[in-house]
Amino acid sequence: MKVSGTSHLSADRDAVWRALNDPAVLVRTIPGCRRLEALGVDSYKMTIAAGVGSIKGVYDGQVRLTEQEEPGSFRMHAQGAGAPGTIGADVLVTLAAAADGGTELTFAADATVGGMIGGVGQRMLTGVSKKMAAEFFANVDTVLAEPAGGNVAGRHTDGSPEQPEGMTSSGATWVAPDAVPTRNINGFAMGVAVGAAAALAGALVGGWLASRRRN
Amino acid sequence: MFGARIKRSEDPRLVTGNGRYLDDLGHDALEVAFVRSPHAHARILEIDVTDALDVDGLVAIYTYDDLDARMTEPLPLLIPHPTLTHGRTQHALAIAEVNYVGEAIVMVVARNRYIAEDAAHRIAVDYEILPAVVGIDVARTAEHLVHDDVPGNVAAFMVQETGDADAAIDMAPHSLQLDLAIERSASMPMEGKGVLARWDNDDQSLMVHTSTQTSTSVRQAIAAKLSLPVDRVEVVTPDVGGGFGVKIVHPWPEEVLVPWAAIRLGRQVKWTEDRREHFISSAHERGQLHQVRVGYDDDGRLLGLSVKFWHDNGAYTPYGLIVPIITSTQLLGPYKPGVYRVEFTSLYTNTVIVTPYRGAGRPQGCFVMERTLDAIAADLGLDRTVVRERNFIQPDEMPYDQGLIFQDGRPLVYDSGDFPASLAKLKKLVDWDGFEAYRAQAHADGRTVGIGMACYVEGTGVGPYEGGHIRVETDGSVVVSTGLTSQGQGHQTMLAQIVADELGVSFDRIKVTTGDTRRFKYAVGTFASRTAVMSGSAVAMTARKVREKALRIAAQALEASVDDLEIVDGHVQVKGAPSSQIDLGAVAVLSNPLRYAFDTAAQRATQFASPADPNQPPVSAGESPGLEATDFYSPMRSTFANGMHAVIVETDPLTADIKILRYCVVHDCGNIINPMIVEGQIHGGVAQGVGGALYERMEYDTNGQLLNASYMDFLMPYASEVPIVEIDHLETPSPLNPLGVKGAGEAGVIPGSAAIASAIEDAEGIAIHRMPISPSELFHLRLASRATGLSNQKDTE
Amino acid sequence: MEAEALVHVEFTVNGRPHELEIPARRLLSDTLRHDLRLTGTHVGCEHGVCGACTVLLDGDPVRSCLVFAVTMQGADITTVEGCCTPGGGMGPVQQAFQDCHALQCGFCTPGFITTITGYLEENADPTAEEAREAIAGNLCRCTGYQNIVAAVQRAAQLKQAQLKARDAT
Repeated sequence: MKVSGTSHLSADRDAVWRALNDPAVLVRTIPGCRRLEALGVDSYKMTIAAGVGSIKGVYDGQVRLTEQEEPGSFRMHAQGAGAPGTIGADVLVTLAAAADGGTELTFAADATVGGMIGGVGQRMLTGVSKKMAAEFFANVDTVLAEPAGGNVAGRHTDGSPEQPEGMTSSGATWVAPDAVPTRNINGFAMGVAVGAAAALAGALVGGWLASRRRN
Repeated sequence: MFGARIKRSEDPRLVTGNGRYLDDLGHDALEVAFVRSPHAHARILEIDVTDALDVDGLVAIYTYDDLDARMTEPLPLLIPHPTLTHGRTQHALAIAEVNYVGEAIVMVVARNRYIAEDAAHRIAVDYEILPAVVGIDVARTAEHLVHDDVPGNVAAFMVQETGDADAAIDMAPHSLQLDLAIERSASMPMEGKGVLARWDNDDQSLMVHTSTQTSTSVRQAIAAKLSLPVDRVEVVTPDVGGGFGVKIVHPWPEEVLVPWAAIRLGRQVKWTEDRREHFISSAHERGQLHQVRVGYDDDGRLLGLSVKFWHDNGAYTPYGLIVPIITSTQLLGPYKPGVYRVEFTSLYTNTVIVTPYRGAGRPQGCFVMERTLDAIAADLGLDRTVVRERNFIQPDEMPYDQGLIFQDGRPLVYDSGDFPASLAKLKKLVDWDGFEAYRAQAHADGRTVGIGMACYVEGTGVGPYEGGHIRVETDGSVVVSTGLTSQGQGHQTMLAQIVADELGVSFDRIKVTTGDTRRFKYAVGTFASRTAVMSGSAVAMTARKVREKALRIAAQALEASVDDLEIVDGHVQVKGAPSSQIDLGAVAVLSNPLRYAFDTAAQRATQFASPADPNQPPVSAGESPGLEATDFYSPMRSTFANGMHAVIVETDPLTADIKILRYCVVHDCGNIINPMIVEGQIHGGVAQGVGGALYERMEYDTNGQLLNASYMDFLMPYASEVPIVEIDHLETPSPLNPLGVKGAGEAGVIPGSAAIASAIEDAEGIAIHRMPISPSELFHLRLASRATGLSNQKDTE
Repeated sequence: MEAEALVHVEFTVNGRPHELEIPARRLLSDTLRHDLRLTGTHVGCEHGVCGACTVLLDGDPVRSCLVFAVTMQGADITTVEGCCTPGGGMGPVQQAFQDCHALQCGFCTPGFITTITGYLEENADPTAEEAREAIAGNLCRCTGYQNIVAAVQRAAQLKQAQLKARDAT
């Protein structure tokens, strides 16, 4: 299944790049992400609660970032499995400077979905993936728009990421806070496309949190 | 019981609200709604499901792109024919083009139907609208095509002839030409279609319930399309709320899509259509245009008959050419046509598919022939029944070969019938000869009345076969099954009557199952008025086998000769000495030599229970255990029923309102198993005939929109519109099957339009060549007729 | 999108009280059939024309496909199942239908049975013409109505015989 799309973020390219590579940001912005644990450099384990339409579940997955060319592009490989199904995805993310000083983000994903959620139909899966991707990027944009030193974990005033206390190259864990200021999570039913591989840094396996979870 | 008015065993369950129709099943199933094309002809550019994704309770959305393997192929063309050179069928979900309003494009599965419809409404499809081809005139002009690769919109062109009819007509002392038209109607059963499917992952098997007329064929089709072994698929027909032909088409897209989704989702999935869906995505029938040339002598005898007609087959041809072939052949009715030539062109239009509706092309053929004979009578100043009599095939000419090939691929040979006797009965019943006096009296009262009549012949009991299976259980109850299905015809009752007689058991101890592939796997289906002939004969033959085996075993047990035994009320007894008896349940026990007794009755059959012959194996060569048998009936040809209807109508001089005063039927379906059931079939058929003559037509606009896709605007008769039907029977038994029966299911509807048109014409003196006819149409015909002084067209050759 | 809001409603069906939480747009026909599993009431057109869905609302026939179940607060509904004898056997109207062969496929039948049950309370001894008019609002595709008309009069007969028998004891 191929899914692709674009998103415009207000923050500049460098900031977006750092955010997409920052697990502390990811755990707050990936829809449904509950837990993120570093396995090594650019390699994470994560847990995501998600639903595709009425099929809901919790998924465990792994994400690896490769071919990183800061701040222009990187590739993400994701594998995940949960009770309702499995997903594998290979996503290329490209960042370009936008005329207004923001960022044009383009993603192109190649995904395989299996299990029960694989049976819901291509258009539903790709449709939900795109929605998830859009929500993810919007979340990132919201987080980046917060005043520096605010909720973004570990960010130094010069913008360089600060290692959270006790972080080593593996074993460090981030847990999603309960409330995340995001733009688009309101009554969205979030038909979930588990595995709808919409691109993204670290995200994907799983995807959206059904709006119910937040209610 | 044969010939008795036995009350139906189906009824107690149905009248108390304990029927099990499709939608009564699968309460926990996911439900389905479809996005169907709103355009008659369009290319699909894009399908955007984004807005539907938010709907709470949505489970899946499928389009053609999701289909796999054989599901991507078009649905089967069920009945190919050499002249169907350009047959086309649709895909389960439309790929790139849709060809009728209602064609399925997207399948939505959700927690319930309300939610599925919510989601379906939010799916946006982008179309490029193409020109719609609607109606026979537009189709044959072919300025636009329905299918790009079908020139002239012609699916098929077929000719059957017995000689040079045009020459015969040219040489005849008199000739006539007529243009006739019948408009589209539809079966319209009160229950629409529905499918319920469940994949059992433990058993790796698929169970499908569908409101169908042929579970065995649906099973084959589903197994093929889903690439499953046939023996891992079972199809059960639940109670069905009417079929009338529309449910013989298979597989409907939904019949393969619902099981396909059930397998993918691992959940039970159900779809039941609503009434609008039925109007725009099931099937219609009847629409044809005819041109007739006929040559006759001074006595009104037919010398040559040449019929050309155009048949509107809708957007696809899944059922082949059966309807126009039946029109071509059954048009001849009970008559000798002289030299006959019939030619038809089957045309595509951007409308719903056309497949058989009770009568299946015969009403059109009957309308054509009967109007023609009436025109001849009018031309020669002869009584209309006299013209019929002069053209009848006589009883001593039976069997009569019309020289054509019938819809079963076999020669059109009438096996039996006494048309003069039927007509005599009809004339007596309606008091044909006394009508002029009645008319004079009515005229004196300022009323306008008319009388009309029409005759038909119906090939029933078409093959290739049906089967029966009967087993006597150890408690004496009798289990009967046949593979075809029931939609209210009382099959369970009728078949039990046959078995009760053949086997000598009580009606109440017999349980009949139809349409369940778990119980009987080889069958064709319920259509073409064939159940009594086909399953009736098969079940009778099977019962005779069971009886023969029972007597053989009982003879041993009673130490009597088989010829001295009879079976009365479930007991095998010695004739004249009924105390020497053994009941059938005990015979069933003995028929199955056991090692282990599962109850006290079974103990009789265990190895030490009675002395055994050490020189014979417990089950002899060629024998099987159990008091049961299977047999099949396969006919040489169809067997021909016939009937004649007479109608008296009154037309209002001011409003042109049309009222039926009397409706008389003489009906010959050979030997009658249950007269109450046969009469019920005639009543129902007449109601549909009245509907088709006066009320029912599908109103398509030039863009292919069905304007009257609801019961509010498609007029079906209520009790206030249907007359009391007076019936007299004739029975000319069929020589072709063991019971001497002929089919009765479609008879009532066949001559309706012909007889009513004949009566209206008789009342008004205006030619009625188009049906249905409404009061406003009659009103305008009156105006036109007064303006131009028109009478029946006549070819002045 | 939020899940649909549910409305609390209480009504009696065939003498039994029910309490339900259902969406406001749920039709009474669907509630009877799928929430209460009383599948005797059938849906033939869902636009109020065919009458297969007819039930008695406080004794009067209504098209349950045109009624929102949530408007039935306090109502007393009778379906075809409620026209049986207490033991679940055939009541007089149902028996009349079997006697007269007034059903074939049986799909429209429940709507006729409730309609006739309601009608006979108003007119215990209809003529054939009155009988025909009484059922002229229900569609049947199988029977041609003739036997249904006969069943109306037969039902009247059976009811009267029942009443006489009861009065005699």
